[in-house]
Amino acid sequence: MIRSFKAELLKLRRRRVAVVATVGALAFAVIATTAVFLSATQTAGPRGRGATIESLSGAGGATEAFALGASFVGLLVLVLFIANVAGELSQGTIRTLLMRQPRRLALLAGKMAALLAFVAGVLMLAEVLTVAASAAIAPSQDVATSSWFGLDGLGEAASDYASALLGICAWALLGMAIAVFVRSIPIALGIGIVWAGPFEHILQDSWTSADRWFPGLLLESLTAGGTDDVAFGRALALVAVYVAVAVSAAAVVFARRDVTG
Amino acid sequence: MTNAITLHSLSKRYGARAAVENLTIDVPPGVVAGFVGPNGAGKTTTMAMLLGLVKPSGGSGRVLGKPLETPSSYLGRVGALVEGPAFYPALTGAQNLAVLATAAGHDRSQIPGLLDLVGLAARGDDRFRDYSFGMKQRLGIAAALLGNPSLLILDEPINGLDPAGVHEMRGLIGRLASGSRTVLVSSHVLTELEQVCDWLIVIDAGRLVFEGPASELLDRGGANLAVAPEHPGDLERLRGLLTAAGHDSRAAGDHLAVAINGHDPRGLAAALNRAAGEGGIVLAELRVTGASLEDRYLTMVKNGGDR
Repeated sequence: MIRSFKAELLKLRRRRVAVVATVGALAFAVIATTAVFLSATQTAGPRGRGATIESLSGAGGATEAFALGASFVGLLVLVLFIANVAGELSQGTIRTLLMRQPRRLALLAGKMAALLAFVAGVLMLAEVLTVAASAAIAPSQDVATSSWFGLDGLGEAASDYASALLGICAWALLGMAIAVFVRSIPIALGIGIVWAGPFEHILQDSWTSADRWFPGLLLESLTAGGTDDVAFGRALALVAVYVAVAVSAAAVVFARRDVTG
Repeated sequence: MTNAITLHSLSKRYGARAAVENLTIDVPPGVVAGFVGPNGAGKTTTMAMLLGLVKPSGGSGRVLGKPLETPSSYLGRVGALVEGPAFYPALTGAQNLAVLATAAGHDRSQIPGLLDLVGLAARGDDRFRDYSFGMKQRLGIAAALLGNPSLLILDEPINGLDPAGVHEMRGLIGRLASGSRTVLVSSHVLTELEQVCDWLIVIDAGRLVFEGPASELLDRGGANLAVAPEHPGDLERLRGLLTAAGHDSRAAGDHLAVAINGHDPRGLAAALNRAAGEGGIVLAELRVTGASLEDRYLTMVKNGGDR
């Protein structure tokens, strides 16, 4: 597993990848901060969602844009992991790797660990950049920043980071599982996007409890650190079950299936 | 000495279709073994089973003395190129090799030497996506050589190459076979391999039709030496001279046909030339005719083998 972890990191430790990741994190910081601060209201909106001037002036204000923005990048992470893993399976590079590292589960685990470590790093960068962007835009929106940079603010930042990382890891692992089952990039992407995008949200319109049970909606709640309808603990527990089932099934399929084509 | 590869009744079925059926082969160590058969004969499936990529439906085998069921016990000493070169398009050739070396736990310092060996030293820092097909194949060979393997398994390495590429690849395979390394190389065209192989395995429809030294296959082919005198009127006298020297021959138009019958063709040709010369006949023609190795192979494949 360590060898495949290091091998995967070699692919990620390239200048082009670093530039793309940095630009992505910067774009996320600017877009999320601008959207959250410009749309902040004096009082909370329906269902308690969205930022207020009061919440932004609190200890967690510096990373609120990060937390809200992170709940929307799950789909992007899903797409990236599906494309990466399904690409390995459909283009034959996994065959080349397996001839060098025949312990299949160790290979897959090392690869996923490296990708998740990379995502964790990019997420950290995005949070730092979001704090900087928030500090820059706050005065223009009459948001006080005096309570951002104390211990409470640091705790809020760590909590927001942990929530976002948990949610994104879950999206990533579910993306990997879909890719292992389907192997084809376009089909896996179609399934992932339709499931996580319109499918669950359409059902949510006709069944109000959908966000308490469906994995995609639970993941949105988890990444946002919990919502008024779904507590963080419930979202975390149910998502953990979904992810455990999906990853276990994918591991069995990956370990046993013939590698051809 | 332990065979490099031993398979016993190995089978792979996909539903009702048998891709490989009761395949039993032994590849001695240190040979270049040509694995030949038409497209769809089961060559790639067999190689994939040797590499742990495909699980056999039945049978058993050993690779480098280790059981087929535990590929991790022998794959560290095996290098392979199967189903074409598959690498990361955005990485350079050298970076691709570094990823594989790291995954296998091999020393990365060997990469420049391997790129040099396969003629990619000047292009090692170019992206894989910019390589020609021949360069991709050569990078695949370099990847297979990581860790200096005892057994090389190459699946159709010549397929798709232009004539110059074929010539180059044959030379490379010959160089790779030096020393004690065993090479198993597949092709659906026997003529691509006959110059470099000293051992042949021929399969068709998943079944073995021939296994043994390449020279044995030639012996079974009924090859002849065609001998023609400078003056056609000397044909019968030449036949008498050859018969007196212990070589049976038969008339075949304007020349005589002498069966090779397992002799070294060059040695036999020298003997016939000497006998003719001693009788005062100048030869105008002396060449191997009859069934070539390729003819023999095609006959066997059509007939289902005669092991």
